[in-house]
Amino acid sequence: MDVDDDDFFTNLDRPGRAANNNTFQERLRRASRDDDGAEIPDAPPFMFEEEEETPLQQLIRHWMNERHSPDILPNEGELLAGLLDHIRSQSETVQLLRTDPSSSEEEHFRIVLVQTEVERVKFIVRSYLRTRLFKIEKFARYIMTNPQVQQQLSESEVEHARRFARLTDQHFYHSVLQSLPETQQTLDDQPPFVPSMVTEPDKGRAVFVLARQDCPPVRLPDGTALDMRKGHISLTPYSVVEQLVARGEAELV
Amino acid sequence: MALPQSLRTSVTPLELELIASEQLVEIVPLITMEKTAFISGAYGPLRPPAKCRIPLWMATNLKLKKKCHIVPPEWLSVDFLLERLTRETSRPEFSKLPFRFAEIAKVVLDVASDDVQNADKIKSLLKDLREARQAKSRDGLQKLDHSELSLPNLCSMEINEIRPFFIQSMGILTQLVREPSAE
Repeated sequence: MDVDDDDFFTNLDRPGRAANNNTFQERLRRASRDDDGAEIPDAPPFMFEEEEETPLQQLIRHWMNERHSPDILPNEGELLAGLLDHIRSQSETVQLLRTDPSSSEEEHFRIVLVQTEVERVKFIVRSYLRTRLFKIEKFARYIMTNPQVQQQLSESEVEHARRFARLTDQHFYHSVLQSLPETQQTLDDQPPFVPSMVTEPDKGRAVFVLARQDCPPVRLPDGTALDMRKGHISLTPYSVVEQLVARGEAELV
Repeated sequence: MALPQSLRTSVTPLELELIASEQLVEIVPLITMEKTAFISGAYGPLRPPAKCRIPLWMATNLKLKKKCHIVPPEWLSVDFLLERLTRETSRPEFSKLPFRFAEIAKVVLDVASDDVQNADKIKSLLKDLREARQAKSRDGLQKLDHSELSLPNLCSMEINEIRPFFIQSMGILTQLVREPSAE
């Protein structure tokens, strides 16, 4: 799939997007002009975790969760749609300002910075979607046999899984399976003592988890309980912290 | 392929750097700029010589064009790092450092070493600190079992460094524990 063309982002757009009232220019106009940095918070530098997460920080967290988790996580469609809208409005403003010959040198600086940020966010969005795409293809058969997992994916993701599973099935059938005895033609055998033929996420794989807040105790495989305080870092099987990550109480790092 | 082989098991240091660059840093601007809305928030106005807090990536961008000085974070100083190094070598546990200190220190020292006092000394301190902590995380491997290993105060870059080996080791330990009950 070509993720580099611009239509890609347009195609991702969903119906029902929020009314667009946060364009770069509008917010620029509303921004107070002469406050000489009076509203700089007193928080010590690099302690931004204390503040509320911006949509971008949320996406970064989901991106990292997705990258580290062995399972495919719920789709963050709304968050993504909001950010894509934001990317689009910022790009449009940049285009507008660029064609305006009266813009000053100072304006150029801002344009360059805004554009740089747009590219950074696009990179994160792409990487996030590519990670999901990779998992969808890897677990295509598992997704198609499991309606519960399908509910966590967006429609287009399920559609992709369906088509991918069908294509590989047909390919295997035409290239090999049709010349095998009928009993050996299936692709979803679950013989005893060997792994199932359907690739499933290995939830027992270890992950590094960071508690974003004090978490309720979770049960470890050896029977003891793990009580994670805020900021605690642990290496533990994914199945142990799956719920904490899903609820946003912990993140994978 | 949707995701290159090299990115499947772990993230790259460059990606960690990208994430760390979202954090705010203080600068002394050399240009004026009105308050501007970005996706991650509104920053500015820049009015030299008043200090201002902007994301590290923006500071890097301006610094490379010689349009600002970066004020290094408090912990990026000889005094602080020396104190942490003493603690690191005298006590068994990891001492507390900002979660993404390695990435931020690298970026700041790369682009703005002239804004940091005693940059060379700080570089060598960071290296000593890294080695002391690396030795500790290697020791931590002894305590690894199949269910959990607590790693308080370990930092993002250090986690990334030990990730492949630790995850695989834990996977093998899990298999060893599971085997008897399966039979």
